[in-house]
Amino acid sequence: MPLPKVIDYGTPLRESADTVTLTIDGRAVRVPKGTAILAAARSHGIEIPKLCATDMVEAFGSCRLCLVEIEGRRGTPASCTTPAEDGMVVHTQTARLAALRRGVMELYISDHPLDCLTCSANGDCELQDMAGAVGLREVRYGQDGRKHRTEAKDESNPYFTFDSSKCIVCSRCVRACAEVQGTFALTITGRGLESKVSTGSFDFLSSECVSCGACVQACPTATLNEKSVIEHGTPTGATITTCAYCGVGCSFRAETQGGQLVRMVPYKRGQANEGHSCVKGRFAYGYATHPDRITRPMIRARISDPWREVSWDEAFAHAASEFRRIQAQYGREAVGGITSSRCTNEETFLVQKLVRAVFGNNNVDNCARVCHSPTGYGLKQTFGTSAGTQDFKSVAQADVILLIGANPTDAHPVFASRMKRRLREGARLIVADPRRIDLVRSPHIQAAHHLALKPGTNVALINALAHVVVSEGLVREDYVRERCDLASFEAWARFIADPRHAPEASADITGVPAGELRAAARLYATARNAAIYYGLGVTEHSQGSTMVMGMANLAMATGNVGRVGVGVNPLRGQNNVQGACDMGSFPHEFSGYRHVSDDATREVFEQLWGVALAREPGLRIPNMVDEAQSGHFKGLYIQGEDIAQSDPDTQNVIAGLSAMECVVVQDLFLNETAKYAHVFLPGASFLEKDGTFTNAERRISRVRKVIAPLAGLADWEVTLGLAAALGYPMQYAHPSEIMDEIARATPSFAGVSYARLDELGSIQWPCNAAAPTGTPIMHVERFVRGKGRFMLTGYVPTEERTGERFPLLLTTGRILSQYNVGTQTARTPNTRWHDEDLLEIHPFDAEQRGINDGDRVLLRSRAGATSLRAQISERVQPGVVYTTFHHARSGVNVVTTDYSDWATNCPEYKVTAVQVTRTAAPSDWQRENAARADFLRRIERELPEGAG
Amino acid sequence: MSAPRVYVPADAAALSVGADAVAAAIAAAAQARGIEIQLVRTGTRGMLWLEPLVEVDTADGRVGYGPVNPADVASLFDAGFPDAGAHPLGLGRIDALPWMARQQRLSFERVGVIDPLSLVDYRAHGGLAGLQHARDTGADAVLQQIIDSGLRGRGGAGFPAGIKWRTVAQAPGPRKYIVCNADEGDSGTFADRMLIEGDPFALIEGMAIAGLAVGADRGVVYLRSEYPQAIAVLRRALALARADGLLGAHFDIDLRVGAGAYICGEETSLLESLEGRRGQVRAKPPLPAHHGLFGRPTVVNNVLTLTAVPWILRHGGKAYADFGCGRSRGSMPVQLAGNVRHGGLFECAFGITLRELVVDIGGGTASGRPLRAVQVGGPLGAYFPESLLDTPLDYEAMAAAGGLLGHAGIVVFDDSVDMAAQARFAFEFCALESCGKCTPCRIGSTRGAETLAKVSRGIAPEANLKVVEDLCTVMTDASLCALGGLTALPVMSAIRHFREDFGP
Amino acid sequence: MKPDKLARMANDIAHNLAALGDAAPAAIAEHLRHFWTPRMRKELLQLIQAGGASLEPTVVEAARAL
Repeated sequence: MPLPKVIDYGTPLRESADTVTLTIDGRAVRVPKGTAILAAARSHGIEIPKLCATDMVEAFGSCRLCLVEIEGRRGTPASCTTPAEDGMVVHTQTARLAALRRGVMELYISDHPLDCLTCSANGDCELQDMAGAVGLREVRYGQDGRKHRTEAKDESNPYFTFDSSKCIVCSRCVRACAEVQGTFALTITGRGLESKVSTGSFDFLSSECVSCGACVQACPTATLNEKSVIEHGTPTGATITTCAYCGVGCSFRAETQGGQLVRMVPYKRGQANEGHSCVKGRFAYGYATHPDRITRPMIRARISDPWREVSWDEAFAHAASEFRRIQAQYGREAVGGITSSRCTNEETFLVQKLVRAVFGNNNVDNCARVCHSPTGYGLKQTFGTSAGTQDFKSVAQADVILLIGANPTDAHPVFASRMKRRLREGARLIVADPRRIDLVRSPHIQAAHHLALKPGTNVALINALAHVVVSEGLVREDYVRERCDLASFEAWARFIADPRHAPEASADITGVPAGELRAAARLYATARNAAIYYGLGVTEHSQGSTMVMGMANLAMATGNVGRVGVGVNPLRGQNNVQGACDMGSFPHEFSGYRHVSDDATREVFEQLWGVALAREPGLRIPNMVDEAQSGHFKGLYIQGEDIAQSDPDTQNVIAGLSAMECVVVQDLFLNETAKYAHVFLPGASFLEKDGTFTNAERRISRVRKVIAPLAGLADWEVTLGLAAALGYPMQYAHPSEIMDEIARATPSFAGVSYARLDELGSIQWPCNAAAPTGTPIMHVERFVRGKGRFMLTGYVPTEERTGERFPLLLTTGRILSQYNVGTQTARTPNTRWHDEDLLEIHPFDAEQRGINDGDRVLLRSRAGATSLRAQISERVQPGVVYTTFHHARSGVNVVTTDYSDWATNCPEYKVTAVQVTRTAAPSDWQRENAARADFLRRIERELPEGAG
Repeated sequence: MSAPRVYVPADAAALSVGADAVAAAIAAAAQARGIEIQLVRTGTRGMLWLEPLVEVDTADGRVGYGPVNPADVASLFDAGFPDAGAHPLGLGRIDALPWMARQQRLSFERVGVIDPLSLVDYRAHGGLAGLQHARDTGADAVLQQIIDSGLRGRGGAGFPAGIKWRTVAQAPGPRKYIVCNADEGDSGTFADRMLIEGDPFALIEGMAIAGLAVGADRGVVYLRSEYPQAIAVLRRALALARADGLLGAHFDIDLRVGAGAYICGEETSLLESLEGRRGQVRAKPPLPAHHGLFGRPTVVNNVLTLTAVPWILRHGGKAYADFGCGRSRGSMPVQLAGNVRHGGLFECAFGITLRELVVDIGGGTASGRPLRAVQVGGPLGAYFPESLLDTPLDYEAMAAAGGLLGHAGIVVFDDSVDMAAQARFAFEFCALESCGKCTPCRIGSTRGAETLAKVSRGIAPEANLKVVEDLCTVMTDASLCALGGLTALPVMSAIRHFREDFGP
Repeated sequence: MKPDKLARMANDIAHNLAALGDAAPAAIAEHLRHFWTPRMRKELLQLIQAGGASLEPTVVEAARAL
């Protein structure tokens, strides 16, 4: 696709019901009230020269190029800072203005290196464009004046350079960092001609910069430039696609030169991100072409054998014959599949279809099992649908935000920026988290309340909040009467009003002072719009599902569901975990969350697929592992999921995998799970295929092929090959046809098609005859299940308790630069920011154990032990330790246990009783694992280069 | 009968020539001679060539001696001090001195007269009558009085204060601010400082009236750090006002001290600075009246604007408007400085000519050499040649003559001045003080100085003067604020009136 | 599946549905039918037949409805 020009309106477009009509250069122009003249003109095709203005940030008025003349007004005001008004008569092109603009450009160029031909921004430079636009023909100041041409270049950031000698001090980068990203890492130092962009630190890498790329995006010159552009040159083509990292689902322009991806630029019209990005999506795509990529299928009889490269057909045939053999030998239920939340909806749909239609059972699950399965359960029970209620944009109208068990600035940075923008506008924030996350206090952000609860006490906390609402008369009774199931409300209100749920009674359990909790409850309950956002700190507990229902209860009781600015919103981890769930990747549900026992639904699929389907639920991932160890489960097809690293109690998972006879792993890399696999099918990255992802706001966005699959096949084609070898050929020429089948079989997707997606940009399901353009906000007039249902949420303490042997509680989380188990990010320069997992420990606990900052420590639970370095930090409370799980060598999941959520078996990652001691050496597991890794990954290369 | 009062200024200008030592010498001499006196430290009368000026009460009124050295103190006492006695330094009745007699001291009526930190003195000299009147008549009446007075912003821009106040009064919002701009950075100006040091309660009263008029319960004074004496006086005055109940929950004032940036005297930069940010100009709109300090509707007025207010409320807007001429009503505290024989503060009604001020009142140059140029309105004001000295001092007449009134600082130059160097200095000043936000000011100021240097070195003078002229047009029309926008005034007035100085 | 694990899972469900009081056994049974494979349910019944000492009474009651 050729490189389309993206219109820059210069100042943000406004939304307003009121419009104003003015005349610009003789043309009548009508725009929403509040629109600046600059954007009013541009939106009607009139281009006014500009440099400091760009529509991603508010007007600044510094370059003085966009001056205009307005009849009846003195002087030459800047069109970027002057709002359009009714009846204005504006002239943008007069002799006076032309002379002024030339004069300003003459000044700019008098302080700019004249190296355009060799400049990395040549052809993509607004300064160059403007010099042309104003007709600058000479610079009369000569070349010997004071200049910045000798400024040193800052190349510390792995992805972009900062060349101050080319800087025109327009502050676009500074403003983007503040307004768009909300980090405030950049500033201007000095004044007059000495004004310079500065990080306030030694260089970019050592500064507070989070490398989101907003400054690079904003820069009109080569001052901030991607290293990839410096290396390869200006892109010539672009494809709009969707990021494959977190559940925010940012839209990007993948800019290419020939077959080479040159850079990823956040797409301004992307509805999830509105032109913003984070360090992962913007820059950390290098894993896609990393030398570790396996691009040929491989098989082996035993995991102790070396891998043998084979053709696709041989691999398919081998896997198929093994699955059929196992089913013949151990029964139809002895095999299953795991779909990938990293893959597309279409690919996911095919894998579950293969399991149900070809394997003939319901043993299909996906990684939502270990993250947001409680969300699906809890929200379905209360609201009637297994998804968040809002679009991201809704946060811009929230007045109080209750953030529970989520750390968006690290894990969902682009959404965090939107949230921070709203907080800077004055919305109040309540953080419920055992750890002092950045949002508790960071530049221009301060939480009104930080409820620093003890890990594992979420339900006691939410019940106490609800108790305040009920006992202090803060229930929105009109809402409850009209929208909710009254009987369930009354039962719940009686239950929650019990004194055992009072903040004073639960303070001992949660560790949260009653006064603070009461104040927080009042703040949430009395807000005009109060919204709950939450993450895995809610779900990954023994009471994950209960907590989700507890939040839903609270939101319903206070009338905070069903309009903009409110809601209950899961921040989902993987790019397509919502989609994978929607697509029927659960052992009990078809696409659209319909239970397998529902005859009508089964009939739809039986007709479509031409086979009889099982009516009993299948195995969930942890059940598969257990049943494998019991000898009942023998074969597993895993697409894009590394359960040996990401699932809890690693040694238990490995025991399960080792007990299986045929493990088929389809992945980009020879991952931890592949060490125990018998067939390896090379996967394709998101850049190599067509499809769709569905993000946390139920938004379905297109994934478009940017480069050819490295292994020759996209993942959906691999599943087709396997199905065909199993004797069930599936006929799809393109993923769009898979989506058509999904739409036919799934009421909430009935209106979705690739044509519609191209037309609308993206679609939030449900999308059908009732909602032809999708559904940004759910439960608007009525809940999906009819009346909202209050559920009783008794607090049941976890079995996982501290004691003499394991006196500390371990909780886990993510960091900005790395992503989940590091499969992608650990293969990029993002390791410059974070190249190992660290154990955060409170100074008090560290001192008791003689641990100094940076010491190697042994982290031990009843499940296992690993070692990593300690970081002494007061972000954690005494008695709690915290670490990330990004690096295979720290293997934090060796320590986590197999305890799980009562309703969904979602693992209790967030609470593990541990002991921490100083150590000098890796743990036994780490030693053995490292020793076995190379052995289990041997590849015997037989095929000549180029085959496969 | 109480001990006789002896008045010694504690104004920074008086201190700089030894007023403290004089005060100490007087106290010591009185004690040594067993004479009981009451030493009162005052502001300055504004006759800087007479400082330290010592005054005593007599039946006829206050008489003065000056300039007094500590060494003169003994002879003063020998001559009968503190009873008025003949002495070579004796000046007679202060208010009979021509400098004083020719003034219309409205804002400065108490400066140099009272103990600046005595609320008793302040009340005794008409203080707080204006505020009382405001309280009695209410916000609308106050706004009307200010509008009727014709009072315009004394900081330089000359915007009608009443209109600004009314805009803020009508702006919606639960919180509004009164911000006093006391970042007096123009060369040759010192009226703000003298007023704060000499009569701080007048500022407090003016701000309280403004708060009442617009519905603001918070005020902030942004005072430059280069004025330690003024800072100390105002801080003390604020504490006294709070103790007295004059300030409190209904209206309170915060004192903030600047950090040495000239640009923070520009109202939007000042607001940025108050909000804890880099002192950088904001684009207007939005106007501070709508979206000012912390985004709230805000009155930003200069010290002289606010200190004119108590007099207006006490005597009525009409009485104030009776002074002045045309659209410039009331009085203006003029500051005479530079190469002038009698420099200082001279408050008078608008309409007086430059010549009267510089020649009649100021006595011509201090050097005795012929006067060549007068710069009016600070470093961004125009240079007037001798031929334009009959220009009257008011907003419109100054503008018509190609200059501006500014903060009414007048700096006098004799015939030894190099006007090309002065023009270059204007650019250099702008380059040094530019906030760096807008391009014309950020780069243009430096390029202007460089190009004028070329002219002085004889490098293509005609062509380069054309470059400067073009640059001045760009800076005037395209700059974001008055710093870049007014730099052309001194530059082009120097070129226009003193073309002979531009060349090698 | 290992009996102790099966028992723990069943008891977890019982504890979390305990607030339902008399309605708990029916809710437990529904949950098991909804999410457990037939083999897991069968093994639970076997566990109960074998004594099922570690099981909550509500689980035992729920199992009667399976």
